[in-house]
This record gives sequence, C-alpha cells and structure tokens, in this order.
Amino acid sequence: MKTRMLATHVALPVLVIAVSAQAQAADFDWMKFKGKTVTFLANNNPVSQALLTYKADFEKLTGMTLKVDAYQEQQMRQRLVTVMNANSDEVDVFMTLPSREGEQFAAAGWYGDLTAMAKNEVAKDYDPSGLSQALLKAATFGGKLTSMPMNIEGPIFYYRTDIFKKCGLEAPKTIKDVEVAAEKIKTCDSAVTPFVSRGLKPAVAYTFSNMLHNFGGAYIANGKSNLCSAKGKEALDTYSRLLRDFGPPGVVNYSFQQISALYRSGRAAMAFESSNELRTVMDGGARLKDTGLLPFPAGEAGQVPTTIGWGMAVSSHSKQPEAAWYFVQWATSPEVQKKMALQGIAPPRPSVAKDAEYRKWIDEEPVRKEWQAALDVLATKGSSEVGYPIVANPESREFIGQAVQDLILKQKPIDQACADADKALDALIAQK
Amino acid sequence: MSDAAATLTQDRQKLEMAALSAPAVLFTVAMIAFPVVYTIWLGFQTFTSTGKQSFAGLANYSKLISDVEFWHGLWITIALFVLSLVLQLVFGVWLALVLFHAKRLPGIVRSLFISPFMMPPVVAGMMWLVILDPSLGAANYILQSCGLPPSDWLASPTWVIPTVALIDSWQWTPYVALIVLGGLQSLPPSVYEAAQIDGASAFKTFQRITLPLLLPTIVTAAILRSVDLLRFFDIIYITTQGGPGNASNTLNIYGFRVGFEFFNIGYASALMLTLTAIVFGAVLAFNRLRGAVAW
Repeated sequence: MKTRMLATHVALPVLVIAVSAQAQAADFDWMKFKGKTVTFLANNNPVSQALLTYKADFEKLTGMTLKVDAYQEQQMRQRLVTVMNANSDEVDVFMTLPSREGEQFAAAGWYGDLTAMAKNEVAKDYDPSGLSQALLKAATFGGKLTSMPMNIEGPIFYYRTDIFKKCGLEAPKTIKDVEVAAEKIKTCDSAVTPFVSRGLKPAVAYTFSNMLHNFGGAYIANGKSNLCSAKGKEALDTYSRLLRDFGPPGVVNYSFQQISALYRSGRAAMAFESSNELRTVMDGGARLKDTGLLPFPAGEAGQVPTTIGWGMAVSSHSKQPEAAWYFVQWATSPEVQKKMALQGIAPPRPSVAKDAEYRKWIDEEPVRKEWQAALDVLATKGSSEVGYPIVANPESREFIGQAVQDLILKQKPIDQACADADKALDALIAQK
Repeated sequence: MSDAAATLTQDRQKLEMAALSAPAVLFTVAMIAFPVVYTIWLGFQTFTSTGKQSFAGLANYSKLISDVEFWHGLWITIALFVLSLVLQLVFGVWLALVLFHAKRLPGIVRSLFISPFMMPPVVAGMMWLVILDPSLGAANYILQSCGLPPSDWLASPTWVIPTVALIDSWQWTPYVALIVLGGLQSLPPSVYEAAQIDGASAFKTFQRITLPLLLPTIVTAAILRSVDLLRFFDIIYITTQGGPGNASNTLNIYGFRVGFEFFNIGYASALMLTLTAIVFGAVLAFNRLRGAVAW
C-alpha cells in the first residue's frame, strides 16, 4: 500500500533545509528582483482569494509586479496543461494539489525543483521547518521539493446539534453510528435530508477515500486495484447506501456547492464535506450556533482522515524561477499565513495555529474551536491518498466515482460495479 | 488614353490590390489552417499521462472503433441533436407565427420573447441548475404545489437528456423564431390574397402555403442550430459534466475530458476530428435538403 501516511513521515529533509536556511538568511534581500513581473496562475478559491487580498503588500515589499491569472479549478488546470505542453514561460507560479496531480506533474517535469532555493534563498523569518512537514513530504517527488503548502484541509463531518438533540442522538463515534443516526432522523424529522456528501462522479474520491481508509481498505494491493476486496466493497456499499437511502434527491450531481447550500439552508442534518467550506456554511450565521464538527467517525481501522493542501509550485519553464520563488516564499511565510488564517484558511504551520491572535479568533465561536480540533486530527492522523496513488490519479477518480454512482442509481450489483472499476483501474495502474 | 493603356492600368491596379491584401489573406488562411493541420497532426500522436509523445499512426482512430465510450458518446450526441432540433424547429416556427400575427405586441414583450438566446450559455446553465435542483429548486416546488410528483431532472439517467434538450430549447428557440420571422415577413402577400379569395381556412393556408414557402428558411435555421447542437458542450459541462454516470457524456464532453483532464491530447484530437467530420456531414446533408426545397 502506497498510502502517504502523513503522520509517519520523517522530518529530516525539512530540518536540513532549516539549518542551511539560517546560514543564508543574513544575505537575503527582498528587493533583489525589483522591477520584474511574476505571473501567478491561481485557482480562484477561498485560499487564493485570501492570499491575493495582500497582493499590494508583496509588490511593496519586493518592488516586483504580480500578474494574476485566476480561473476556476478545472479551467486553471486546462490553462496549465496548454501552457506546459507548449513549454511556455507564460506562467511562473501555479497552484497545485500534490495529492491529485503531484505524481503526474512531477513525472511530466512541470514542477521546478524548490529544494535548493528553499535552502539558499530564504528570509530570516521564513522558517521552513515551521511548515507542516507532512505536507512538505507529500509535495516531495523523487527527492525534489515541488511545492510549498498554502493551507491544510480535508473532509470533515458537519452535524446539526439541535436535530440530534431533538431526536435523542449523541454525536456519532463510528460509521455505524452515522447510519443509525440517519435512520432515526429520517423518521424523527422528515423535513430534513439525514445525510449528504459528494455524489458527483469526479468529486466522489475526495470523501470516499476517507471512508475506505477508515474501514481499513486500500486502493491497491499487490499491484492490482483492490475495490473488490471485502473492505473495498464494504466502503463502496456503505458510502452509496448512505447517499441513496438518506441523501437528497439528485445526489449524483452533488459536489461541494450543492452540499454547502443544502446544509446552510438547514435542510440537511449531517454533511460530510471539506473543512474549507466552513466559511460558506456559516455565511449568514444561521448555522453558527447549531452545528457540531468532527473528523469523520471511525471505522474498523479507526480514523484515517483525508488531509490535503493546496501548494504553490514554480513552473519548470519559468525564465525567472528565483523571482518566482520569492513570491512563493512570501505567500507561504508565517506572516502571510497568519493573515490568511484569520480569514478562515486553515494554516499549514502549527506555529500559526498556536498564535495568540489566531487562538483568540478561534475562541470567539465554539464551532471554530471544533473546526480547529478536527483539523488538528487531520494534521496528525491524515492520509493524502485521494484516489489511486498513480500517475493517472485524476482518471482513477472517474472510475471510483462511476462505481459509487452505479450503486447509488442501482444500475449494477456491487460485485459487478467493483469488478468493472477494478478492470479499468488495473489498466490505468499498468500504464507507464 | 487608349483602350490598351486603360487595360494595362486596370491590370496593374488589380495586381497592386492583390499584393497589398495578400499579407492579410495569408495571415487569415494561416490562422484558420494552422489549428486544423495541428489537430490532424496531433491525431496521429499518442501521449502518456506524463505528456510523453510518440507517433501512433492510425492507432487513435482504430481505438475509436473499439471504444465503448465513443459509441455511447456518439449515441448521446445524436439523441440530443435530434430531440433539441425537433423541439426548437417546432416551437421556433410557432413563436415566429405568434410574433408575426401579434402586430400590436409591445416592443418590450417581443424583446422578452427573444431574450434567452442573448444570455451566455454558462449563465443559462447555472440558472437552470438552481431551478432544477431536486431538493432546493423551484421546478419541483411548482410540480408538488400542483399535486404532481417531483422529478430528479438532471440527476436522473433517464431524464437528463430530455432535460438538457429542454434547457437548450428554452435558450435557442427564440433564435430559430427570429430567423423564421424574417422568412415570414418576406413571403409574397399575393399568394395569401389568392388563398383568401379561394376561401382557404387558416390551417389550410398554413399547411399548403406558409409551411412550403418557409421550408428553405427552416432548413437554414436547422443548419445553423445543427452545427451548435452537434458540438453541444457548455450547458452539459455546467449542469452535469456528462453525468449522472455517463448518461449525458456527449462526444464533445468526452473529448474534452480525455484531452484536458486525462492529458491524452492525441486521442482527444482524433475524437474531435471525427466529430468535425460528423458536423460537416450533417451540414452537407442539410444543404442538399435546402437545395431540394428552394423555390
């Protein structure tokens, strides 16, 4: 099993970077590339939006101009694919999800190697060892550091404390408890959807992976796709049954937008969705006082939450990788990450998570405390395996999603759904 | 000036004009030809997931034949094309007749009738996605208020294609109506006067005079809509991304995903060139039909 168990990763490479960095910090000059223009290809999500609030600060600090090219996630990737396939230097820095495309982009040679720059070109207060070592490790391919973490996130369990109280339920501790709660809510409060999570085909892997790992399942065993194993089938069956029997109508088209909208409007009792959605879910304040947050309840293997983070990478085709690195360094510095944290972007630096000002913001609302507690579990126990740990990871998510949809829509029995998926996935695994 | 001298001057002027316009013409031709030639070339290449490229000959095209997703996508494309085209032509002609005969209809109402096609398809897709949401949308609320059962709309493998066809028809029927309205306004009044004198009923007049005379215009509208319908992309991409399962996975959506999500640009190019050939075939067929119904 190639699962990247974040908690078990060794911190040595990061410590080496930190020690070297101290020696170089004295010579560091933020104005070294004054007058240059750095182009940043951004995913227009809350993470980049929070970062770009401080764009003027970067330009003032460095004398550089930051040109932002922002798109929605899929469109950003399409633009990146076009630019990189053309070997173009149009983009200097881009946002990336190492858990999704890391293997693929690294194998294609699209990431610039940040290892040396993270050693030799760092400001005194940058503190690379303060960044989540697990996320740094997850962004290291073939010994090369390919991106610096911008945030930490993962799917967490949102539930309505008022509905649970009304139905005489306790916060669920296990997956079985979730099913029991869903069954009870169905009769106790028929006006709400008992449980909602992702059903849209390409989006399923993000939440399903957490359930598979909690059950003790693995995507690959002995070099072959493993969805038809007992654990794989249990996870497929439970995930699809929860959505089919207790989810909203049309759940096969549900991704984070629909889930957040349903939960925020008060029409779902339990939602399994990204920690990043807290701000959206709490928008308007209606759910601020009646929401509880947890990492997804345990299965037979305990809690193995999915933990990922957006990273900032320097393009291997950039003509000015050092200037680009200055932007990456500024954006992932403790100062900027603290500012972003105060806007609800979970920091990938434990030091920021412990900062007094940030703690004060967290302590203002009980739901924020639970959010941070859940994130702490994600940071210590998480796995970054979302979909198959292979170069064709994005395509592998299609087949996981297809199997789940086949079961939700009752188009295939479980043995056929998992066998069809395994067959297609074996072909992907065999690809070089 | 003698005739010979005048001819010489004219020839020289023509030559000068040709020389002056040549760069612009060459640039335009290159801009059109380059992407096409490049796509044809890409269709003979194979790309691995890591972007490594090699010559594949006709392998991408032979893969099409055994690719279940290709045939499924072709079937979905044709189903969506036929359903949408029929809806848009029938309701487009009807709307044109309403607008043609309702002479007193205020300009603002006429503008409202034809406004949907001015809306960007992405906006239309987002709007209908919200309206048709099975849990929160207005469509099911209205159905249930009338005592009718709710529908899963875009989330139902059975209903997704008719629903997408309805959304597209909502948007583009006014466009067809506008073309047909132009045709109606150009019909000779004398034939209607003759029909009136002969005592023809309104239905007979429509059936025997209006419809046959309008056919070339309707076929023109069909050609224009066919090109778009066979390349159907934006509304599906916004509303279903080809789902649920692969129930709305048209060739265009499939090709897009193969190219931009799975990075197999070579196979995606082969898919798109095949789709282009289908679009050309449909346009040629309609052009022949237009020739047959011209008057």
